Amino acid sequence: MTAPAGISPEIEAVLENGLNKTALTCLHCPSRILNPSVGTFVQQEFALPAMTKQKNQIIDEKHELREFWKVKDMFQFENVGFSNTVDGVKYLTCADCEMGPIGWHDLVTKENFIAVSRVRNS
Amino acid sequence: MAKKTYDLLFKLLLIGDSGVGKTSILFRFSDDAFTSTFISTIGIDFKIKTVELRGKKIKLQIWDTAGQERFHTITTSYYRGAMGIMLVYDVTDERSFENIVKWLRNIDEHANEDVEKMILGNKCDIDGKRAVSKDRGDAIAREYGVPFLETSAKANTNIDKAFNDLATAILDKFAGKEPGDAPDRVMVDPRRGDTSRRSCC
Ligand SMILES: Nc1nc2c(ncn2[C@@H]2O[C@H](COP(=O)(O)OP(=O)(O)OP(=O)(O)O)[C@@H](O)[C@H]2O)c(=O)[nH]1
Ligand SMILES: [Mg+2]
Ligand SMILES: [Zn+2]
Repeated sequence: MTAPAGISPEIEAVLENGLNKTALTCLHCPSRILNPSVGTFVQQEFALPAMTKQKNQIIDEKHELREFWKVKDMFQFENVGFSNTVDGVKYLTCADCEMGPIGWHDLVTKENFIAVSRVRNS
Repeated sequence: MAKKTYDLLFKLLLIGDSGVGKTSILFRFSDDAFTSTFISTIGIDFKIKTVELRGKKIKLQIWDTAGQERFHTITTSYYRGAMGIMLVYDVTDERSFENIVKWLRNIDEHANEDVEKMILGNKCDIDGKRAVSKDRGDAIAREYGVPFLETSAKANTNIDKAFNDLATAILDKFAGKEPGDAPDRVMVDPRRGDTSRRSCC
Protein backbone atom coordinates (compact mmCIF):
# COMPACT_ATOMS: atom_id res chain seq x y z
CA MET A 1 0.00 0.00 0.00
CA THR A 2 1.25 3.47 -0.84
CA ALA A 3 0.87 6.35 1.54
CA PRO A 4 -1.99 8.73 0.75
CA ALA A 5 -1.09 11.88 -1.14
CA GLY A 6 -0.35 15.14 0.61
CA ILE A 7 1.57 13.75 3.54
CA SER A 8 4.05 16.07 5.19
CA PRO A 9 7.67 15.01 5.71
CA GLU A 10 7.02 15.05 9.48
CA ILE A 11 4.36 12.39 9.06
CA GLU A 12 6.42 10.50 6.52
CA ALA A 13 9.14 10.18 9.15
CA VAL A 14 6.90 8.42 11.67
CA LEU A 15 5.24 6.08 9.17
CA GLU A 16 6.16 2.57 8.17
CA ASN A 17 3.86 0.79 5.73
CA GLY A 18 1.11 3.19 6.73
CA LEU A 19 1.45 2.24 10.40
CA ASN A 20 3.12 3.93 13.38
CA LYS A 21 6.83 3.23 13.11
CA THR A 22 7.58 3.57 16.82
CA ALA A 23 5.63 3.24 20.03
CA LEU A 24 3.32 6.12 20.93
CA THR A 25 3.89 7.63 24.34
CA CYS A 26 2.35 10.44 26.36
CA LEU A 27 3.69 13.97 25.83
CA HIS A 28 3.75 14.57 29.57
CA CYS A 29 4.81 11.30 31.15
CA PRO A 30 6.55 8.09 30.01
CA SER A 31 3.31 6.11 29.72
CA ARG A 32 3.21 3.89 26.62
CA ILE A 33 -0.06 4.23 24.76
CA LEU A 34 0.43 2.04 21.70
CA ASN A 35 3.03 -0.43 20.47
CA PRO A 36 4.70 0.04 17.06
CA SER A 37 2.73 -1.00 13.95
CA VAL A 38 -0.65 -1.10 15.63
CA GLY A 39 -2.13 2.23 14.52
CA THR A 40 -3.06 2.96 10.90
CA PHE A 41 -2.42 6.49 9.71
CA VAL A 42 -5.63 8.20 8.55
CA GLN A 43 -6.49 11.71 7.45
CA GLN A 44 -9.90 12.96 8.46
CA GLU A 45 -11.32 16.06 10.07
CA PHE A 46 -12.20 15.95 13.72
CA ALA A 47 -12.59 18.80 16.20
CA LEU A 48 -10.95 17.72 19.44
CA PRO A 49 -11.36 19.82 22.59
CA ALA A 50 -8.22 21.57 23.78
CA MET A 51 -6.22 19.76 26.49
CA THR A 52 -6.46 22.67 28.91
CA LYS A 53 -8.72 25.65 29.21
CA GLN A 54 -8.86 29.00 30.93
CA LYS A 55 -10.67 29.37 34.22
CA ASN A 56 -14.34 30.32 33.80
CA GLN A 57 -14.28 29.42 30.14
CA ILE A 58 -17.73 28.02 29.49
CA ILE A 59 -17.50 26.66 25.96
CA ASP A 60 -14.67 24.25 25.32
CA GLU A 61 -12.21 25.40 22.76
CA LYS A 62 -11.85 22.86 19.97
CA HIS A 63 -9.06 22.25 17.52
CA GLU A 64 -9.67 20.96 14.01
CA LEU A 65 -7.25 18.07 13.59
CA ARG A 66 -6.60 16.04 10.46
CA GLU A 67 -4.01 13.43 11.27
CA PHE A 68 -4.82 10.41 13.39
CA TRP A 69 -3.68 6.91 14.23
CA LYS A 70 -6.64 4.59 13.88
CA VAL A 71 -6.80 1.71 16.35
CA LYS A 72 -9.47 -0.85 15.49
CA ASP A 73 -9.91 -2.59 18.83
CA MET A 74 -9.61 -0.80 22.17
CA PHE A 75 -7.74 -3.75 23.63
CA GLN A 76 -4.90 -3.10 21.20
CA PHE A 77 -3.88 -0.17 23.40
CA GLU A 78 -1.15 -0.66 25.96
CA ASN A 79 -2.41 2.00 28.36
CA VAL A 80 -5.27 4.41 27.78
CA GLY A 81 -8.20 6.00 29.58
CA PHE A 82 -11.74 6.35 28.22
CA SER A 83 -13.78 9.34 29.37
CA ASN A 84 -17.46 9.30 30.13
CA THR A 85 -19.61 9.81 27.05
CA VAL A 86 -20.31 13.39 25.98
CA ASP A 87 -22.36 14.16 22.87
CA GLY A 88 -22.00 10.60 21.64
CA VAL A 89 -18.22 10.51 21.95
CA LYS A 90 -15.74 9.08 24.42
CA TYR A 91 -12.44 10.90 24.64
CA LEU A 92 -9.12 9.12 25.10
CA THR A 93 -6.56 10.13 27.72
CA CYS A 94 -3.22 9.06 29.04
CA ALA A 95 -3.89 6.28 31.57
CA ASP A 96 -1.18 7.47 33.91
CA CYS A 97 -1.35 11.27 34.03
CA GLU A 98 -4.84 11.78 32.58
CA MET A 99 -3.60 14.26 30.02
CA GLY A 100 -6.09 14.54 27.22
CA PRO A 101 -8.05 14.37 25.11
CA ILE A 102 -5.40 12.68 23.01
CA GLY A 103 -8.06 11.23 20.74
CA TRP A 104 -11.57 9.87 20.58
CA HIS A 105 -13.59 6.65 20.46
CA ASP A 106 -16.43 6.15 18.00
CA LEU A 107 -19.27 4.48 19.90
CA VAL A 108 -20.86 3.17 16.68
CA THR A 109 -17.89 1.68 14.85
CA LYS A 110 -15.89 1.07 18.09
CA GLU A 111 -12.85 2.48 16.31
CA ASN A 112 -10.36 4.67 18.13
CA PHE A 113 -8.43 7.65 16.82
CA ILE A 114 -5.28 9.06 18.43
CA ALA A 115 -4.27 12.55 17.29
CA VAL A 116 -0.75 12.39 15.88
CA SER A 117 -0.02 15.86 17.28
CA ARG A 118 -1.06 14.96 20.82
CA VAL A 119 1.30 12.06 21.46
CA ARG A 120 5.02 11.44 21.17
CA ASN A 121 5.67 9.55 17.94
CA SER A 122 9.32 8.67 18.47
CA MET B 1 -4.33 -8.61 9.75
CA ALA B 2 -4.73 -7.69 13.39
CA LYS B 3 -1.95 -8.97 15.55
CA LYS B 4 -2.87 -10.44 18.87
CA THR B 5 -1.16 -8.16 21.33
CA TYR B 6 -1.95 -9.80 24.64
CA ASP B 7 -2.61 -13.13 26.34
CA LEU B 8 -5.47 -12.36 28.68
CA LEU B 9 -8.07 -9.70 29.39
CA PHE B 10 -9.42 -9.11 32.89
CA LYS B 11 -12.35 -6.83 33.63
CA LEU B 12 -12.07 -5.23 37.05
CA LEU B 13 -14.51 -3.06 38.99
CA LEU B 14 -14.18 -0.52 41.78
CA ILE B 15 -17.15 -0.41 44.15
CA GLY B 16 -17.90 1.05 47.57
CA ASP B 17 -19.71 3.92 49.27
CA SER B 18 -19.68 7.42 47.88
CA GLY B 19 -16.58 9.40 48.80
CA VAL B 20 -14.30 6.50 49.73
CA GLY B 21 -11.95 7.32 46.85
CA LYS B 22 -12.79 4.94 43.98
CA THR B 23 -12.43 7.60 41.31
CA SER B 24 -9.22 8.84 42.92
CA ILE B 25 -7.79 5.32 42.81
CA LEU B 26 -8.53 5.04 39.09
CA PHE B 27 -7.89 8.66 38.21
CA ARG B 28 -4.38 8.91 39.60
CA PHE B 29 -4.68 11.40 42.44
CA SER B 30 -3.01 14.45 41.02
CA ASP B 31 -3.21 18.10 41.68
CA ASP B 32 -0.11 18.81 39.67
CA ALA B 33 0.02 21.38 36.92
CA PHE B 34 -0.61 18.84 34.18
CA THR B 35 -4.08 17.84 35.23
CA SER B 36 -6.25 18.47 32.23
CA THR B 37 -9.28 20.51 33.07
CA PHE B 38 -11.24 19.06 30.18
CA ILE B 39 -10.86 15.46 31.28
CA SER B 40 -11.32 16.20 34.98
CA THR B 41 -14.65 17.84 34.19
CA ILE B 42 -16.15 14.96 32.24
CA GLY B 43 -14.56 12.12 34.21
CA ILE B 44 -13.10 8.75 33.29
CA ASP B 45 -15.34 5.77 32.59
CA PHE B 46 -12.65 3.08 32.45
CA LYS B 47 -8.99 2.53 31.80
CA ILE B 48 -7.06 -0.08 29.91
CA LYS B 49 -3.73 -0.95 31.52
CA THR B 50 -1.23 -3.55 30.44
CA VAL B 51 0.68 -5.50 33.07
CA GLU B 52 2.99 -8.45 32.89
CA LEU B 53 2.39 -11.24 35.38
CA ARG B 54 4.07 -14.63 35.41
CA GLY B 55 5.42 -13.92 31.93
CA LYS B 56 2.00 -13.15 30.52
CA LYS B 57 0.86 -9.92 29.01
CA ILE B 58 -2.44 -9.06 30.64
CA LYS B 59 -4.83 -6.27 29.74
CA LEU B 60 -6.76 -4.89 32.66
CA GLN B 61 -9.96 -3.04 31.90
CA ILE B 62 -10.74 -1.15 35.09
CA TRP B 63 -14.16 0.41 35.61
CA ASP B 64 -15.18 3.08 38.07
CA THR B 65 -18.70 3.04 39.53
CA ALA B 66 -20.75 5.56 41.49
CA GLY B 67 -21.23 4.91 45.20
CA GLN B 68 -24.35 6.98 45.65
CA GLU B 69 -27.53 5.05 46.37
CA ARG B 70 -29.41 6.49 43.40
CA PHE B 71 -26.88 4.97 41.02
CA HIS B 72 -27.03 1.45 42.41
CA THR B 73 -29.21 -0.03 39.67
CA ILE B 74 -26.71 1.20 37.12
CA THR B 75 -23.82 -0.07 39.20
CA THR B 76 -25.17 -3.60 39.38
CA SER B 77 -25.21 -3.80 35.58
CA TYR B 78 -21.46 -3.25 35.71
CA TYR B 79 -21.07 -6.49 37.64
CA ARG B 80 -21.86 -8.41 34.47
CA GLY B 81 -18.70 -10.07 33.28
CA ALA B 82 -16.50 -8.60 36.01
CA MET B 83 -13.71 -10.98 36.94
CA GLY B 84 -12.32 -8.98 39.83
CA ILE B 85 -13.85 -6.49 42.23
CA MET B 86 -12.08 -3.94 44.44
CA LEU B 87 -14.30 -3.20 47.38
CA VAL B 88 -13.24 0.12 48.82
CA TYR B 89 -13.93 1.73 52.18
CA ASP B 90 -12.53 4.87 53.79
CA VAL B 91 -10.48 4.34 56.97
CA THR B 92 -11.73 7.71 58.25
CA ASP B 93 -15.38 6.77 57.71
CA GLU B 94 -16.82 4.11 60.01
CA ARG B 95 -20.04 3.91 58.04
CA SER B 96 -18.27 3.02 54.79
CA PHE B 97 -16.54 0.18 56.65
CA GLU B 98 -19.80 -1.18 58.06
CA ASN B 99 -21.25 -1.12 54.56
CA ILE B 100 -18.56 -3.51 53.32
CA VAL B 101 -20.83 -6.37 54.40
CA LYS B 102 -23.67 -4.87 52.38
CA TRP B 103 -21.46 -4.58 49.32
CA LEU B 104 -20.27 -8.17 49.71
CA ARG B 105 -23.91 -9.27 49.69
CA ASN B 106 -24.49 -7.15 46.64
CA ILE B 107 -21.60 -8.90 44.88
CA ASP B 108 -23.02 -12.30 45.79
CA GLU B 109 -26.35 -11.32 44.25
CA HIS B 110 -25.16 -9.73 41.04
CA ALA B 111 -21.64 -10.78 40.14
CA ASN B 112 -20.26 -14.00 38.69
CA GLU B 113 -20.02 -16.66 41.31
CA ASP B 114 -16.28 -17.06 40.86
CA VAL B 115 -15.40 -13.36 40.88
CA GLU B 116 -12.18 -12.52 42.75
CA LYS B 117 -12.58 -9.90 45.46
CA MET B 118 -10.27 -7.63 47.35
CA ILE B 119 -11.01 -5.19 50.18
CA LEU B 120 -9.20 -1.85 50.23
CA GLY B 121 -9.09 0.47 53.24
CA ASN B 122 -8.34 3.72 51.44
CA LYS B 123 -7.04 7.10 52.70
CA CYS B 124 -4.50 5.45 55.00
CA ASP B 125 -2.39 8.60 54.61
CA ILE B 126 -4.77 10.40 56.96
CA ASP B 127 -3.70 9.53 60.47
CA GLY B 128 -5.46 12.06 62.68
CA LYS B 129 -9.01 11.25 61.62
CA ARG B 130 -8.70 7.48 61.36
CA ALA B 131 -11.90 5.73 62.46
CA VAL B 132 -11.18 2.14 61.41
CA SER B 133 -8.03 0.40 62.61
CA LYS B 134 -6.01 -1.83 60.31
CA ASP B 135 -6.80 -4.74 62.64
CA ARG B 136 -10.51 -4.37 62.00
CA GLY B 137 -9.86 -4.39 58.26
CA ASP B 138 -7.79 -7.53 58.67
CA ALA B 139 -10.49 -9.15 60.76
CA ILE B 140 -13.34 -8.62 58.31
CA ALA B 141 -11.13 -9.75 55.44
CA ARG B 142 -10.33 -12.96 57.32
CA GLU B 143 -13.97 -13.51 58.20
CA TYR B 144 -15.01 -13.35 54.54
CA GLY B 145 -11.86 -14.89 53.15
CA VAL B 146 -11.01 -11.89 51.01
CA PRO B 147 -7.52 -10.35 50.65
CA PHE B 148 -7.10 -6.93 52.23
CA LEU B 149 -4.80 -3.92 51.79
CA GLU B 150 -4.73 -0.43 53.16
CA THR B 151 -4.20 2.07 50.34
CA SER B 152 -3.80 5.74 49.69
CA ALA B 153 -4.74 7.17 46.34
CA LYS B 154 -3.21 10.43 47.47
CA ALA B 155 0.19 9.09 48.49
CA ASN B 156 0.05 6.35 45.83
CA THR B 157 0.45 3.66 48.48
CA ASN B 158 -0.36 0.07 47.51
CA ILE B 159 -2.44 1.09 44.48
CA ASP B 160 -0.37 -0.79 41.91
CA LYS B 161 0.07 -3.67 44.32
CA ALA B 162 -3.69 -3.92 44.79
CA PHE B 163 -4.31 -4.25 41.05
CA ASN B 164 -1.41 -6.64 40.59
CA ASP B 165 -2.56 -8.84 43.48
CA LEU B 166 -6.12 -8.96 42.20
CA ALA B 167 -4.99 -9.75 38.66
CA THR B 168 -2.62 -12.44 39.95
CA ALA B 169 -5.46 -14.05 41.91
CA ILE B 170 -7.57 -14.19 38.75
CA LEU B 171 -4.66 -15.57 36.76
CA ASP B 172 -3.97 -18.27 39.34
CA LYS B 173 -7.61 -19.25 39.37
CA PHE B 174 -7.59 -19.82 35.62
CA ALA B 175 -4.36 -21.74 35.91
CA GLY B 176 -5.85 -23.91 38.64
CA LYS B 177 -9.08 -24.56 36.82
CA GLU B 178 -8.06 -27.47 34.72
CA PRO B 179 -5.69 -29.59 36.75
CA GLY B 180 -2.93 -30.96 34.58
CA ASP B 181 -3.30 -28.08 32.20
CA ALA B 182 -0.11 -26.08 32.02
CA PRO B 183 -0.69 -22.49 33.09
CA ASP B 184 0.75 -21.18 29.85
CA ARG B 185 -1.93 -22.90 27.85
CA VAL B 186 -4.75 -21.18 29.67
CA MET B 187 -6.47 -18.82 27.32
CA VAL B 188 -9.38 -16.52 27.73
CA ASP B 189 -11.35 -15.30 24.81
CA PRO B 190 -10.85 -11.54 24.64
CA ARG B 191 -14.55 -10.94 24.12
CA ARG B 192 -15.48 -12.83 27.20
CA GLY B 193 -15.14 -9.78 29.40
CA ASP B 194 -18.00 -8.17 27.53
CA THR B 195 -20.49 -10.97 27.71
CA SER B 196 -22.30 -12.11 30.78
CA ARG B 197 -21.42 -15.49 32.10
CA ARG B 198 -24.63 -16.60 33.67
CA SER B 199 -24.10 -18.75 36.69
CA CYS B 200 -25.46 -22.20 36.10
CA CYS B 201 -28.74 -23.27 37.67
N1 LIG C 1 -6.39 12.08 52.00
C1 LIG C 1 -6.91 11.33 51.03
N2 LIG C 1 -8.00 11.74 50.36
C2 LIG C 1 -8.50 10.96 49.40
C3 LIG C 1 -7.92 9.73 49.05
N3 LIG C 1 -8.64 9.17 48.05
C4 LIG C 1 -9.63 10.03 47.78
N4 LIG C 1 -9.57 11.12 48.58
C5 LIG C 1 -10.50 12.26 48.59
O1 LIG C 1 -11.77 11.79 48.92
C6 LIG C 1 -12.79 12.50 48.20
C7 LIG C 1 -13.69 11.52 47.48
O2 LIG C 1 -12.93 10.80 46.52
P1 LIG C 1 -13.59 10.18 45.22
O3 LIG C 1 -12.51 9.46 44.50
O4 LIG C 1 -14.33 11.20 44.47
O5 LIG C 1 -14.64 9.16 45.85
P2 LIG C 1 -15.58 8.10 45.07
O6 LIG C 1 -15.46 6.81 45.79
O7 LIG C 1 -15.26 8.09 43.64
O8 LIG C 1 -17.04 8.70 45.31
P3 LIG C 1 -18.37 8.51 44.39
O9 LIG C 1 -17.98 8.77 42.98
O10 LIG C 1 -19.34 9.49 44.92
O11 LIG C 1 -18.85 7.11 44.60
C8 LIG C 1 -12.05 13.44 47.27
O12 LIG C 1 -12.07 14.73 47.86
C9 LIG C 1 -10.65 12.90 47.23
O13 LIG C 1 -9.72 13.94 47.04
C10 LIG C 1 -6.74 9.31 49.78
O14 LIG C 1 -6.14 8.26 49.55
N5 LIG C 1 -6.29 10.15 50.76
MG1 LIG D 1 -16.37 8.52 41.91
ZN1 LIG E 1 0.78 10.75 30.63
